[in-house]
Amino acid sequence: MKSRVISLYSAMLNTHYGLSAGKYYYIKKKQRLWEPLVIVASLGWLLVLAVWFAWMLTEQLFLGGLAFGQPHLALISGTLIVSVLGLFFGFFNVLSTFYFSNDLSILLAWPLRSWEILLAKLGVIVTGQYVLNALFLLPIGIRYGLLARAGVGYVLSAVVVFLVLPVIPLVIASALSVVLMRLVNLSRYRDKLTLIGGILLLVIVFGGTYWLQQNVGTDDPSVLLEQLLSQADGLVKAVGRVFPPSVWAAQAMAYAHTSQGWINLLYLVASSALGLIVLHVLGEKVFLQGVIAGLEGSRGGKRRKKVVLEHVERGAFLTLLSTERKLFVRDPNFALNGLIGYVLLPVMALLPLFGQNLEGNPFEQLNFGEMDPLLVMGGISLFFMVMIAMSMIPSTTFSREGRYLWIVRTLPLSIGQIIRPRVAAAQVVNTVGCVLGLLPLSYLFGWGVLEVGFGIVFGLLLSSVVAYLLVILDLSRPMLDWINPIKAVKSNFNSIVGMFGTMVIAFLLGALFFLNARTATLWLIPLELFLVTGILGGLAWFLTRNVAPKLWAKI
Amino acid sequence: MIRLQGVSKRYKGASTYAVRDLDLEVRPGEIFGFLGPNGAGKTTTIKMIVGLLKADQGKVLVNGHDLTLDPIAAKRSMGYVPDKPDLYPRLTGLEYLNLIGDVYGVDGPTRSKRLAHYLEMFQLTEAVGDLIQSFSRGMQQKLALTGALLHAPALFILDEPMVGLDPKSSHLFKEIMREHVKQGNTVFFSTHVLEVAEQLCNRVGIIKQGELIACGTMEELRTGRDRDGSSLEKLFLELTDEGGSYEE
Repeated sequence: MKSRVISLYSAMLNTHYGLSAGKYYYIKKKQRLWEPLVIVASLGWLLVLAVWFAWMLTEQLFLGGLAFGQPHLALISGTLIVSVLGLFFGFFNVLSTFYFSNDLSILLAWPLRSWEILLAKLGVIVTGQYVLNALFLLPIGIRYGLLARAGVGYVLSAVVVFLVLPVIPLVIASALSVVLMRLVNLSRYRDKLTLIGGILLLVIVFGGTYWLQQNVGTDDPSVLLEQLLSQADGLVKAVGRVFPPSVWAAQAMAYAHTSQGWINLLYLVASSALGLIVLHVLGEKVFLQGVIAGLEGSRGGKRRKKVVLEHVERGAFLTLLSTERKLFVRDPNFALNGLIGYVLLPVMALLPLFGQNLEGNPFEQLNFGEMDPLLVMGGISLFFMVMIAMSMIPSTTFSREGRYLWIVRTLPLSIGQIIRPRVAAAQVVNTVGCVLGLLPLSYLFGWGVLEVGFGIVFGLLLSSVVAYLLVILDLSRPMLDWINPIKAVKSNFNSIVGMFGTMVIAFLLGALFFLNARTATLWLIPLELFLVTGILGGLAWFLTRNVAPKLWAKI
Repeated sequence: MIRLQGVSKRYKGASTYAVRDLDLEVRPGEIFGFLGPNGAGKTTTIKMIVGLLKADQGKVLVNGHDLTLDPIAAKRSMGYVPDKPDLYPRLTGLEYLNLIGDVYGVDGPTRSKRLAHYLEMFQLTEAVGDLIQSFSRGMQQKLALTGALLHAPALFILDEPMVGLDPKSSHLFKEIMREHVKQGNTVFFSTHVLEVAEQLCNRVGIIKQGELIACGTMEELRTGRDRDGSSLEKLFLELTDEGGSYEE
């Protein structure tokens, strides 16, 4: 008989990642076999790109670091990136899996101890984290091992590091959310809590960068870099002040053949074990109360604000737009998955800016500052278009309604009237997100107001017609039978197909712009954007008029 | 008010019809009860009337509007409360009601007046500012009912409205149905509770295995054939038992 935790973990793993459903459809029933193919075609190239990038980066950092006596710079970078990402995404993952999932009301009725639920849920998140970590850490570890001609000790140490590394960031994220959940009356403040948590993490990241800079004792970025690299293990020590486990992990691997390496490995394993003990205690003492407080909701007891029934009348378009936006933003499962891209870009751009260290900024190295204004404009348009697909707002708009779709279906509105506000709502979020991302980039690269302004205008047009097509795509096969809302976005095939299709358009347009640059015909870019927008717009118009009503009636 | 002509529906992959060749007329100003055992086709019929399902064959006319040709006009004239009213959990009650009010074009003063009336009646005035996810099932049902009545629809359709309601709320629901009909409107509802149908309905229809097996006033059903003065319960059991059939 399996232990309760293992049993619970397997069941959660199966449902969370759709493994049972996949087995049932693809292996037992041999149905929908085209789905894994499309997923591989959509995401496979990203995977290859990520592995190739990590491989090449390791080589560069190894050779660069060797000159300063710090060849394990690549390992340190890899473990730090993985840890920071694990902490950042882990926090949101933990919130949605621990507290906002629909299985808690069932689990709480079972004879399970709260730490058992907590551990099984943490296990599910850690498993997902392993897959993501493998993308970065495996190529880095293998490439470093080959370059350093590492032995068996290195391999053993690397395996342990790989297994243990995600634990500490996720324990920190879990502890943070468990405590926050206990402090705040959750069901009423979920949105605010998520926002506060996200901001808190950003503050930690920015604060860490600032603190690092202050601790090294110089404001001059070039001096800072030189100091970090010239001192033996300078960077290692500096990073170690911010997040020691990543240093222990890197040193455990780099010095695997020495006692120093094994001591670092011991630190890492021991601190992870300690983290799990802390989590166990928190689980017993705090988790259950937090969940029950959330489940109890806001019924009774609290003081209510007086409700004013007077209301400004709005047309169907505005009221549906506002409803769509509210429903998207208020559900952390939707909002976190959809908005994360908008947050990451400005953060990535601002991070080096905050540390005043422009050198080494990947954006800076791409030479965006010296691009032709017409190329900048074209790039911004493509950025708007890609981001609207990445947000998944239009491509999951009907799927997200799930069992609530009856409300919209019984409203006296044509499908055209229902599609338009959905496109507009996606565009409102996309515009705000993209403009916020563009501001630091424009400042960083000194782009002019005109090219940015026209880029935004073209981007709005292009992304709007793409959003129309994505909404119709979701209308054609909405995923309505979900219980956990996260499935409506993350496991929704429409979002993957939408992203893939949009990427293909972006890639073709990008290739066209590249050709324009090579043949000195950059002036063609606005015409090309007009033409593509016109073609896609015509298609969207045709589908909305002739196909959408049939699809709507068929649901 | 409602006219179903030869309406049939068979779900994908099913060997039998959920609703077969259904002819039914619900007249203006009446409360019509739609009865039948579990799986008889009541909810399927209702879903076809409100436009949630498309009939494979036949015609659905609501207030003179063909649901296939002019679904918007048909929907505008009705209000619908499903058996399990799943409402957006992350909207407040008031946001949901204002959404309905805006879509159905209920003007501000009328909206405020009706909202105040129904919310007071359902004792939701204080809770309406809360998120729907914090509402009990009964509260959600009352909110759905308020939303369905907000535009004073000529036709009010309810699917199993009494399920899960406490006696006080059930009484309130019945009063609302009566009040709605008094204002010249029509109510069509499905139910398992035969006493409710007996007390409220001007006419009832009984459906079994997708086919209408009886339709008429209580009096017509009771005195039909050899059933002199039978209770609705006895009648229902008799009719829905294997082999039982009755035509008006």
